[in-house]
Amino acid sequence: MAMHRGRGIAAIEYPTGMNQNGDPSQAWIKLKMDGRVDVFAGTVDIGQGSKTVHSQIVADTLGVPMDWVTMDTSNTDSSAFCMGTFASRGTFIGGNAVRLAAEKVRSRILEIGGELLEIDPGDLEIIDGEVIAKGSPDKKIGVGDIAGAATFVKGELISGQGTALKDYATLDPETGAVTIPPHSAISYAACAVEVEVDEETGDVRVIKMSQVYDVGCAINPTMVEGQIEGGAMQGLGLGLLENCYPYYPSNDHRGGQFGSYLAPSMEDLPELECIILENPSADGPFGAKAIGEMANNAQPPAIASAIYDAVGVWVTELPITPEKVLRALEAKAAGIPESVTTGKVVRYDEALSITSHQSADAAVTFAV
Amino acid sequence: MSLNITVNGTSRTVNAEPLTPLLHVLREELDVLSPKAGCQNGGCGTCTVLVDGEPRRSCLIPISAVEGAEIRTVEGLAPPGQLSTLQEAWIHHYAAQCGFCTSGFLMAATAYLENGGSDDHAEIATALGGHVCRCTGYVKILDAISAAARGDSFDLTTTAAGLRTTIKGVDQ
Repeated sequence: MAMHRGRGIAAIEYPTGMNQNGDPSQAWIKLKMDGRVDVFAGTVDIGQGSKTVHSQIVADTLGVPMDWVTMDTSNTDSSAFCMGTFASRGTFIGGNAVRLAAEKVRSRILEIGGELLEIDPGDLEIIDGEVIAKGSPDKKIGVGDIAGAATFVKGELISGQGTALKDYATLDPETGAVTIPPHSAISYAACAVEVEVDEETGDVRVIKMSQVYDVGCAINPTMVEGQIEGGAMQGLGLGLLENCYPYYPSNDHRGGQFGSYLAPSMEDLPELECIILENPSADGPFGAKAIGEMANNAQPPAIASAIYDAVGVWVTELPITPEKVLRALEAKAAGIPESVTTGKVVRYDEALSITSHQSADAAVTFAV
Repeated sequence: MSLNITVNGTSRTVNAEPLTPLLHVLREELDVLSPKAGCQNGGCGTCTVLVDGEPRRSCLIPISAVEGAEIRTVEGLAPPGQLSTLQEAWIHHYAAQCGFCTSGFLMAATAYLENGGSDDHAEIATALGGHVCRCTGYVKILDAISAAARGDSFDLTTTAAGLRTTIKGVDQ
């Protein structure tokens, strides 16, 4: 039995949210009479932590403690509209909606605070729930007092709404230059893995996985780490284990039960290293970009290249099961040339693209 | 048929067909909702409860097989309003994302710890290898169980403070 070690690396770039137009999120914030903050938004937290992250964004934008903020996402019918929890858009698009709403509430708090303190709102800041004159910290008033005055003296509900919506991508008709880019923010990541391949059984174990993710700004680093770690194990599963149709398009050996779909368990967990980079985006809340869906993309190709490094065969169909490794090793031993390095041809037809109304007849074919 | 089981220290009488899974009796007859109905054929582990101290998949156990047994679920891990050390560790280490696997992990890990399990990650992985989590990648779950095995103490009021609550520090 011969065990072989190999290393591989893969990288990914990932656009945040749906590109082009038509992917809005909205939020509405009202200030209670004691200064506590109610946020109504449609972004549903399915465990990724958007409720926590949005609370942080609202608290930091307003300048109040985080535990003053209540996110109400309980009713997507009555709450402000959100396209949904998908495309890694929760922090970027949903987060921008709550940030924009919070900025409006903040402006109104400062205006009323300015009236009460008889100071220009531009000379005020909000720190830890208090509106304070810049450079003169003894002149201050609590956000709760301002909300109370609005409610009982001015007869006003301090509220703000925000909508995050990307403009439609356009080109300059004269020059062809991009005036509004189609993408929002691009996240980047790389994953390096070390595997051990059993030449006799075809079994592949991932020994170590190191990953670097540029998420712009990790608004909640622990939760970003959770996304990366979870994505890593999903990627490991996609690379080595998970398959609904092992002999697609045939449905042979499909397996009709949960236990026949192999998801990685704790025992498959390699030594895992996660590094978070912060290269801020221009448009995201506090520079944040996506993390969610990109987190399980780079592992399968990294594993495939590590297997090549270990035993000299490319397996280009996922998941890389022991059967596929053994078949590839057999083919190599028999001198059968690999059929896998030709890549695929991508045809780019500009007539079908979004810019077709602006530039007519270009069609490009290129091989990858 | 009428059967008697003890759930979290309270004796309960249930009327159920003898082959009804324990999971369904707990959730539908007794309103004990922490055991989750996941795959319902023993593959995922989220329905795990303790039967006389041993972790068992409640979806696979007919109610008649546990007559007279002592059943423990997450509801019984600590007195109302309190948390066990393991539960505190779970919160402190952010070991839950969607939380659907959490009940089963907590019960299996409780049995592991009560049987003197160590904080060694490989040992924990062997004990809990049959539980599936698709969100966390298991890292923070291992961290939480290790911490509880070591007997770490947690001040959960500072857990939130450990977050990066000021996010304006990044240069744009």
